[in-house]
Amino acid sequence: MMKSITAALLLSAATALPAHAACAFKNTVPLKTISAGFQAWKSVTSAMQECGNVQSDMDQNFQEKEPAALAANPALYQIAGVANETLVPLLNDGTIRPLDALIKKYGGQLQSNQLIKINGKTMAIAMDVNLENLMYRKDIFEKLNIAVPKNYDEVLDAAKKIQKSGLVQYPLGATYQSGWNIANEFVNLYLGFDGKLFGDHNEPAIKSEAGVKTLKMMKALSQYMDPEYLTADSTYVQRQLQEGKIAMSNLWASRAGAMENKQESQVVGKIGMAAAPSAYPGGKPATAVWWDGITIAKNITDEQADAAFRVAMEGIDTEMAKANSEDVIWLIKGYEPGPLAEGVAASADAGAPPYPASTAMGVMQTAIGNGVPDFMTGKKSAEATLASIEDDYRTGAKEKGLLQ
Amino acid sequence: MNDTAVLRQPFVLRFATVGFIVFWTILAAFPLLWITLMSFKLPIDAFASDPLRVIFGFTTLRERGGLSVTALVLGAFALWLAYHGAEHHGRRFARYLALGGREWLGWLLAALVYVIALILGLFWILPAIVRVVEAILSHIPVLDYLARPMMGLTMQNYRAVWIGYRFYDNFINSMIVTTGTVVISLTVGTLAGYGLARTRSNVAFWLLIAALIFRALPHSVLVTGYLPVFIHSREFLAPLWNWHATAWFFHLFSDQPPTLYGQPLAVIMVLVSINQPFTIWMLRSFFMNIPAELDEAARVDGCSHLGAFRRVIMPVMWPGVITTGLFSFLLAYNDYLVCSLLLDAQSQTMVPAITSFFNRETTTTDQVQAVAAAVSITAPLFLLVIVFQKQIVSGLTQGAVKG
Amino acid sequence: MKPRIFLFFVGPSLFLMTLFIAVPLVSVFVQSFFVTHQVFHEVTTKSCSPGFMKQTCTESTRTEPVLGPDGVPKTETHFVGLGSYRSLLKPAAVKAAFSAAGNGIGDLLNIDFYRALRFTLTFTLVTLPLVIGFGMLTALALNNVTQAVRGPLIFTFLLPFIITPIIGALAMRWLFVGNGIMADALNGLLSQHFAILAHGWSLELLMLFFRVWYVAPFAFVIFYAGLQTVDRDVMESAIVDGASRVERLRYVIIPHLAPLITFVALIHLMDAYRVFEEIIGFSSQAHRISLQWLTYDLLVPDSSGNRAISRASASSMLTLIGIVILLIPLLRRAWREHLGRG
Repeated sequence: MMKSITAALLLSAATALPAHAACAFKNTVPLKTISAGFQAWKSVTSAMQECGNVQSDMDQNFQEKEPAALAANPALYQIAGVANETLVPLLNDGTIRPLDALIKKYGGQLQSNQLIKINGKTMAIAMDVNLENLMYRKDIFEKLNIAVPKNYDEVLDAAKKIQKSGLVQYPLGATYQSGWNIANEFVNLYLGFDGKLFGDHNEPAIKSEAGVKTLKMMKALSQYMDPEYLTADSTYVQRQLQEGKIAMSNLWASRAGAMENKQESQVVGKIGMAAAPSAYPGGKPATAVWWDGITIAKNITDEQADAAFRVAMEGIDTEMAKANSEDVIWLIKGYEPGPLAEGVAASADAGAPPYPASTAMGVMQTAIGNGVPDFMTGKKSAEATLASIEDDYRTGAKEKGLLQ
Repeated sequence: MNDTAVLRQPFVLRFATVGFIVFWTILAAFPLLWITLMSFKLPIDAFASDPLRVIFGFTTLRERGGLSVTALVLGAFALWLAYHGAEHHGRRFARYLALGGREWLGWLLAALVYVIALILGLFWILPAIVRVVEAILSHIPVLDYLARPMMGLTMQNYRAVWIGYRFYDNFINSMIVTTGTVVISLTVGTLAGYGLARTRSNVAFWLLIAALIFRALPHSVLVTGYLPVFIHSREFLAPLWNWHATAWFFHLFSDQPPTLYGQPLAVIMVLVSINQPFTIWMLRSFFMNIPAELDEAARVDGCSHLGAFRRVIMPVMWPGVITTGLFSFLLAYNDYLVCSLLLDAQSQTMVPAITSFFNRETTTTDQVQAVAAAVSITAPLFLLVIVFQKQIVSGLTQGAVKG
Repeated sequence: MKPRIFLFFVGPSLFLMTLFIAVPLVSVFVQSFFVTHQVFHEVTTKSCSPGFMKQTCTESTRTEPVLGPDGVPKTETHFVGLGSYRSLLKPAAVKAAFSAAGNGIGDLLNIDFYRALRFTLTFTLVTLPLVIGFGMLTALALNNVTQAVRGPLIFTFLLPFIITPIIGALAMRWLFVGNGIMADALNGLLSQHFAILAHGWSLELLMLFFRVWYVAPFAFVIFYAGLQTVDRDVMESAIVDGASRVERLRYVIIPHLAPLITFVALIHLMDAYRVFEEIIGFSSQAHRISLQWLTYDLLVPDSSGNRAISRASASSMLTLIGIVILLIPLLRRAWREHLGRG
């Protein structure tokens, strides 16, 4: 019975997927992919499916499923989409294979900055970068004669002026939802203040001057936001911008395209992009660079790996990047960045650091995400908040075996 | 009861009753009505903060057209007809179609005919009638206002969901999982409920208490525990396929142990188990109200327990089973946690599929589409409750409410 | 019924419950006393990650897992006894809170577990009478109107209960969040801006309201069915005896419905104590968390694949103990009934 169900599923999938001519070769090995489901992945997977025999799982639980499914033998998925953070568990479990030989065979189109190298071996292939950069209402800034802020002190000044003018409901927006989002904002600013997250041997180091400065700045910024900021995720902030309720926000570059979508946005053509502000005058932009990319499972046959890699290359080829140039900032050869990418370019040029993903960082991010809201709601002082984040981190890191 | 003076209700009481009912009706229906309205609008209108804009959809009206007063009135009438028909004639129609006395077949055919008629009526016949009426009205002065579009409406969200995202695949998966869960849950639960109702031993009591505590266990804990086992089931189950005493049996099904992850059947078993405590409690209290003398008499006539169950109990148990089945249906149909974690994209059901529209990088277009999908999945639930609401009440009246 | 036949009837159900509930339960219980983790060591490695148009390579000391001979990372399992329970309950911090220097209850409620417990208990105990009260009121009201309109009304009243809970919560959220129309209407009434989701107490009220809205229909349909079985003779003799409406309600209807009230209370206590959807639906983590959310947060891996299985197991065992304590009065009642029957 099991067998017949499986067979029926395979059959229906095989007949349902059209084999297009857009793919350079006809794939005959059945392949499955798993990844997140945002627009860039939708574009990449549909390009892969054109090769035939590819089934895609764009799953909201992919973070939870991916490590387990790749650890199975044989692996349940051959191609796995990752980002900075989600690469970590796969590396730790040793469930993905080095790609150097495959790149030599099929990866002629790849550029050197796409190769994610660990210990000299290429473990993943990046396809896009993403970071949070400043998006602001050009019309409002012009009208009030405010220069585009370069650092967060200037952001506060600008916010004050905009609030006085009453042109928008709230001058600022930010993704301060408790949990992962607010932790990310904390880390951005903290790195911007040149703070160190860890001491030696994975000991936490955020109970520092930079930590207190970061929290104080976040509190100061929150005065100009929608009071419900602790529930604001990227989609919410994006909507606030689109509906003209806020005048500026440090928001993900992948959201820029939505501002120009006439069906959703009331501010088409009015949004400008700039580098993420720095934490203090003269500092580097307070934002971290993220990437998304592709890995190939280890527990599969070499034949499957070959086919998987070729299909993946078709997924991230120039043709795809050109056809979907609004989705994200592609790293793919032949992609030409448009005006929406200006903020990313400016931030990267000014030295925005990569996000420091690691096992310890994962534990830290969770501790920060659950701890910072206590400061924002006034339950704890800055010092007490940082101390309890360190406590939380220590408990988690000990359980994980990172600390003795 | 006689209509005596005591029973006549004082005005204040009647006023309060009506007032409370109106209040509660609005409270119960409003959120759902509102998201239904949203689902027919362009994103810019759907998420507007001005309620009039959400209702009339000015941008939608300008860009995609809309409905006139005539269309709204006729549409409301058609919906009322559909409701009335299902509520009052549904059962009779099902009995009529019950070929060879098989009632389930009758229900199935009736549901099929009804859905087809509904789709035909709402999407072909109704628009045609509306167009004719509008054409007539538009030639009459003053009345022509009734024929002008005034409420923006677009089907684009529904089209995107059902055609663009192949939501019908998820619909079929949902049907497989739900039907499987209801059927197995009731089969297993009826036997257990009967057994428990006819025993007075302490074992039975503690079993029920254990079931109660099982029901109290947080689902997220259970389900997250299943995931690694389901994914690695090939390794876990290998001994069963290799050990010679069991090998022949399992090889009948497949040559290799299956990977349970992504298998609807495995998810059905999980849902059945999670739902067992509630099912056996409901059915036990229902069977307790069927006098034990009935099956004892049958046993005196020489029936075994199973025979007595089949001849005496089965014919009278349907009200209780239908009610319990509806609760199982709701659980399986609305389940998010189990299905989203243990199924893959090819076998995914509707509720988790909807939340995938709300992914990390959603736009408002995705959100309105999610709303449209959400409204779509409540439609079968509507139908079910309209048809069965009398059974729910009568099943409860005879069962749970007495125990 | 002979044990063998009893087993035949109950067997399949028992098997399923054992396999899918009891076995995981035992494993959760065992896991709460152990910690399993990978073995790490520090190595200096060079790694490269993409920048925009150029690559950044860094040499750094990284913590990497030690691989076993088969290429699979080594893991270690320790017995930690009550360690995981301790790191949840934080007895030292509790002692400090109630010491001379401490802030008493205020400090206690800053500890995640007690914060979650406080909310969970309030949530459970406040919604219970509301659900039963509104369920009863709607049932009585419906029983008081003409037969003709009852069908459509039952249907409407049941709506909140039958629709998918996540969708109900989202629909509610859209109405109340930021510029949702209910939020705007409220602001109009108060003639000042008030953000519901920005304050702990208003968020808590909204969550209570949602739960009552969602569960009251269940109580309603059970009570309504019960009202159909009220004995006419008893009712008529009460009328003959000159009992007023209130007296009839109090001495005839309520006692008749008593077992049902117990039933609804039982189900509701269990479900409300596991409150979770509301936390996610209204993203109230900053202000209010519940015990099941705490378990979930520990259990679900973060993006780097870390999960705290041991603490999550301990947390779910504590949740289970809490539910059993709440249920004790009802269980004793059931036991007495069982004895009475036997």
